[in-house]
Amino acid sequence: MALEGRLVILREERKEDQKLFARLRNDLETQSWNVALPPDYTEEMHLKRFEAMEFSYERESARLSVERKETGELAGFITYSNLEERLGATIGIAIAKPFWGTGVALDAQEVLLRFLFLELGLRVVHLWSHSGNPRALKLAEKSGFSVVGRIREGMYKNGRLLDTIVMSILREAYFELHSELEDTLPPLFLD
Amino acid sequence: MLPDRFQTERTILKPLEVDDVEELQSYLNAPGMIGCRCLPWEIRDVAPLSRARVEEALAAWAKEKKGFALGIALRETGELIGHATCDWHWDPHAPGIAVAVSPLRRRRGIGSEVARHLVSYLFENTAAHNVSGWISSWNEAGLAFAAALGFRESGRIPRSEIRDGSYHEGVLVDLLKPEWRKLERERHGA
Repeated sequence: MALEGRLVILREERKEDQKLFARLRNDLETQSWNVALPPDYTEEMHLKRFEAMEFSYERESARLSVERKETGELAGFITYSNLEERLGATIGIAIAKPFWGTGVALDAQEVLLRFLFLELGLRVVHLWSHSGNPRALKLAEKSGFSVVGRIREGMYKNGRLLDTIVMSILREAYFELHSELEDTLPPLFLD
Repeated sequence: MLPDRFQTERTILKPLEVDDVEELQSYLNAPGMIGCRCLPWEIRDVAPLSRARVEEALAAWAKEKKGFALGIALRETGELIGHATCDWHWDPHAPGIAVAVSPLRRRRGIGSEVARHLVSYLFENTAAHNVSGWISSWNEAGLAFAAALGFRESGRIPRSEIRDGSYHEGVLVDLLKPEWRKLERERHGA
């Protein structure tokens, strides 16, 4: 089964993707976290990181390139991290501006969630964002995430104090939203 | 001589050294500690720890660049009864703290004394605006401890942990600097 949605394919990172990834990292609108500043990352830095990746079956995270099916264009990347096997993970997404409002981000998020719930058998998926990024919060809501945490004024960005927002979606909620899918994994607990 | 800022009324907050391994292992494996041992992220808090695992924890804390871990030793006897960590991996604006105290030494206010001291340290000596913590929802004593210090619940992360036949939430708590200032004024009767 390819990681394929209606509009996008999620595929492995490639060398030629690093140019866009550096651009996304340096754009203060697509790079949410102050920790990654200043915006001076180069394609060469990204290439070094890419080339340092080693083969392993022990994976706690992944970064997948988001490719638009129709044109083969690279639109951005989507990640999961902090994987607790068979329990939970945290996702993140960065999509280049020309693809905003095209449905690419939502489709990529849906494809990744399907992988996390149907292949990795997770019971919950989380994401972290902030109150200054309504676009990301709305995108998450569209896939069924709901706000579970709000660290007050936990961030300072673009001259504003912002709340750090945590959102989650339970496995059951995901399958309720996707009546075309059947959850054959028995519940761990009857809660 | 350690600076005063790393001493409280009854404790010394000291750097953890290789020589501390035995005492550290002893209280980390005490009944009631699993799940609230405030270990480095890479060490799962699910089972008794071998000496080698405790050494790994020490090594991870020693490598910490954005934060620190300190042993909590009783001033009177020098006994190591716990440890505390502060980190600002994401942002010094919003660091996190954690305090672990041996079950044999709890309910005497020592954990609160240390936590209050570290919160004061962060607000008075760093750029912290919000100090946060993470406590498992099964840990009622830990939640009461945080509330008594003035922390507010800021979220419940579902299914953070599996324990004793059910899921448990990760409870996020936080305290803003103006709130802390107000609490300190009240505490000192100002």
